[in-house]
Amino acid sequence: MATQLRRSLLTLIFICWAISSTSSDQVGTSYGDSDQIRSLCISDRFIMESYFTTTHTSLDDSEFRNFLLHQQCSSDKIPSEHDPNIVPATSLIQHRNVTGEGSHRNLLTSIKLLPLYLEFQLQELVILERLPLGVFADPFELQSIQQRRVFSDVSVFGDTNLELPSFRSNRSVVEIHVEVSPRDYENGEISLKLPLHARYQPLDDSGYSRVEFGEPDLFLCSSHVQNHQHEQRRCLVLSIGRSKTETRSVFWDIPAGIRGHTEYVSALTFAAAVLSAISILVASVLSSKVESCKNSKQS
Amino acid sequence: MSQGFSEDNDMSRGSENTDDEPPKWLSFRSLLVFSMFLRVFLIVYGEWQDANMEVRYTDVDYIVFSDAASLMASGESPYKRTTYRYSPLLALLLTPNSFFHRSFGKFLFSASDLLVGWFIHTILKERKVPEKICTYSVMVWLFNPFTFTIGTRGNCEPIVCAMVLWIIISLMRGNLSQAALWYGLVVHFRVYPIIYALPIILVLDSQVFRSGQKPPLEDWNTGQAKTPTSNTEKKTFLFSLFTALKSLFSRERIMFALVSGGVFLACNAVSFYFYGHEFLHEALLYHLTRTDPRHNFSIYFYHIYLHYERQFSALEKLISFLPQFTVQFALVSCFWQDLVFCIFLQTVAFVAFNKVITAQYFVWFYCLLPLILPWSRMKLKWEGLLCIILWIGAQTHWLLWGYMLEFKGLNVFLQLWVAGLLFLAANTFVLVKIIQRHRFSPLFRRYESSPPKHVKKLH
Repeated sequence: MATQLRRSLLTLIFICWAISSTSSDQVGTSYGDSDQIRSLCISDRFIMESYFTTTHTSLDDSEFRNFLLHQQCSSDKIPSEHDPNIVPATSLIQHRNVTGEGSHRNLLTSIKLLPLYLEFQLQELVILERLPLGVFADPFELQSIQQRRVFSDVSVFGDTNLELPSFRSNRSVVEIHVEVSPRDYENGEISLKLPLHARYQPLDDSGYSRVEFGEPDLFLCSSHVQNHQHEQRRCLVLSIGRSKTETRSVFWDIPAGIRGHTEYVSALTFAAAVLSAISILVASVLSSKVESCKNSKQS
Repeated sequence: MSQGFSEDNDMSRGSENTDDEPPKWLSFRSLLVFSMFLRVFLIVYGEWQDANMEVRYTDVDYIVFSDAASLMASGESPYKRTTYRYSPLLALLLTPNSFFHRSFGKFLFSASDLLVGWFIHTILKERKVPEKICTYSVMVWLFNPFTFTIGTRGNCEPIVCAMVLWIIISLMRGNLSQAALWYGLVVHFRVYPIIYALPIILVLDSQVFRSGQKPPLEDWNTGQAKTPTSNTEKKTFLFSLFTALKSLFSRERIMFALVSGGVFLACNAVSFYFYGHEFLHEALLYHLTRTDPRHNFSIYFYHIYLHYERQFSALEKLISFLPQFTVQFALVSCFWQDLVFCIFLQTVAFVAFNKVITAQYFVWFYCLLPLILPWSRMKLKWEGLLCIILWIGAQTHWLLWGYMLEFKGLNVFLQLWVAGLLFLAANTFVLVKIIQRHRFSPLFRRYESSPPKHVKKLH
């Protein structure tokens, strides 16, 4: 009785807070708009691992949503057995930005978790960054970050070829696992800094190519138990990100080759190579003749 | 560059001038010991920097090698490691990284680096270069900041350099089968030494290599004395080339080709047996067909990027290969007798005209530079300094634009491409100057009708 009263009170507080919130960077969504996907049950360590071990070889947003639909837990595993109108937990993306200069930058995301009913078995925040075409994350760099305990786990899925230009590559997804504790709910934001690198862009007459970032997908999952490989993990869907942010777009302008340069760059490149080759050829032949003359005179 | 080694020193034949000897503290042994301590210090420092600073000392490639070695040690394919594009032999050499210490490979590469210094000294001594000049030449390698950092950061190029120099030593000592074995191995390890095949085959003259005898070497003093004391071929280079080609299928040449080809194929066959098409694609075909649109020193990078959305036709590829082919053919035709000089020029030109140029390729000719310096008439002041300043300046200029593109995000592709053109111009200028100032000296002397008395027999 007392517990139900507390939960109702917290729900009321949440509704009031949501109405009064005026943050301009607030771009998060609740799972309510995400095709009614509420929870997932997965058997792999990573959510994306399940996606790529099926027939999917590249990332497609609509296929991914269908995949999530098929990963939903059966009804007896829905975390909340109580009133389905009560939202167990939710999140807000407080801030999202690309910082740094040049071809190597960081995607900063601040997430605020709001507990209303805390499932204590759900101790891991899982963030899926579905990267746009044109940027990539270096798996080995992320591994060294993980070794410094910034994330509890991280992996890159999809196209992990670091060398291909964007028009020859496919999208990739970074799945980040962050341990959450009750203190994270009290203290506020969870900040993530994901290092990203630019691929070579398609040619553009403006000299720059714009890459836009959408919102990440957020899940609250039970911790993966190392030896229990076949045990299903339960994940509560907090947010399925949109392909573009709602309020302020997050983008990165990457230098691109200019198509108008093609003809004269090719012509001058070849001319320079030929000229250099001829110079070396002439110098070699003349030098050999000089040596031959010297030797003839000495004899 | 040298201080005009061949003209500024009184180096008459058989001179016992004590000025030929460097001071004791500058002896070869002391240089080698000092170099060894320097490299150990850098490796230890590198470990500290990696652990405590955001910018790592260790080369990214070393991490790739180590990961591949670790995979191999656990029974898996090293090619599961993305961007591992080397022979499985390299991963095998580095397996102790997994169970001994992660720096084992750096010590191995640095030891190879010191071995290169030793081989440089050996080659110059066998050609009777005075000790002082030998020492200065060796210093050009051992104290070049680029070379002592490359091994300590974990780059494997010193191993390749050591193998190339050992091949030269083997040829100089008449050990053809050993030279052939190592040649097959080094081409398997790193494809680029294939460009040395033609000049090596051409010097394997039966007038030079006789069974059981060390071939007579043209020593350093011969040209210094300015009297024709050798049996150097005095005919034009075309006639020499014609003569060499006439007897192309000599016993020595066929044997060298068979042994080196056999070793190359055997290494590839074993690697293919274990790792299949992954090995073929990553370790061999990738290097033969590599075109990288990303910025690098090559003049071709922007041209490749602008055309990357469509494939080049076979004709376009052939045309773009013509300058490289022409230069290689010209250099071999003119200088094959002076084998060391020839392969030095070939390497510089190969790198300069390549579709992709990264800084690590420079080591390929850095290890050969000390071997040609004693025969250079170029004086450090001011021609030598001019060449150094132009070459380094052109690189620095390119790096400046590269920084603007990569770290400031500015569209400077055109400027970067122009910087690449200037770098090619600098390479060409330096190459032409080196050719003009070189005292041509064939590596081997041809026998008279009967072998000369001073030729030593091999035991």
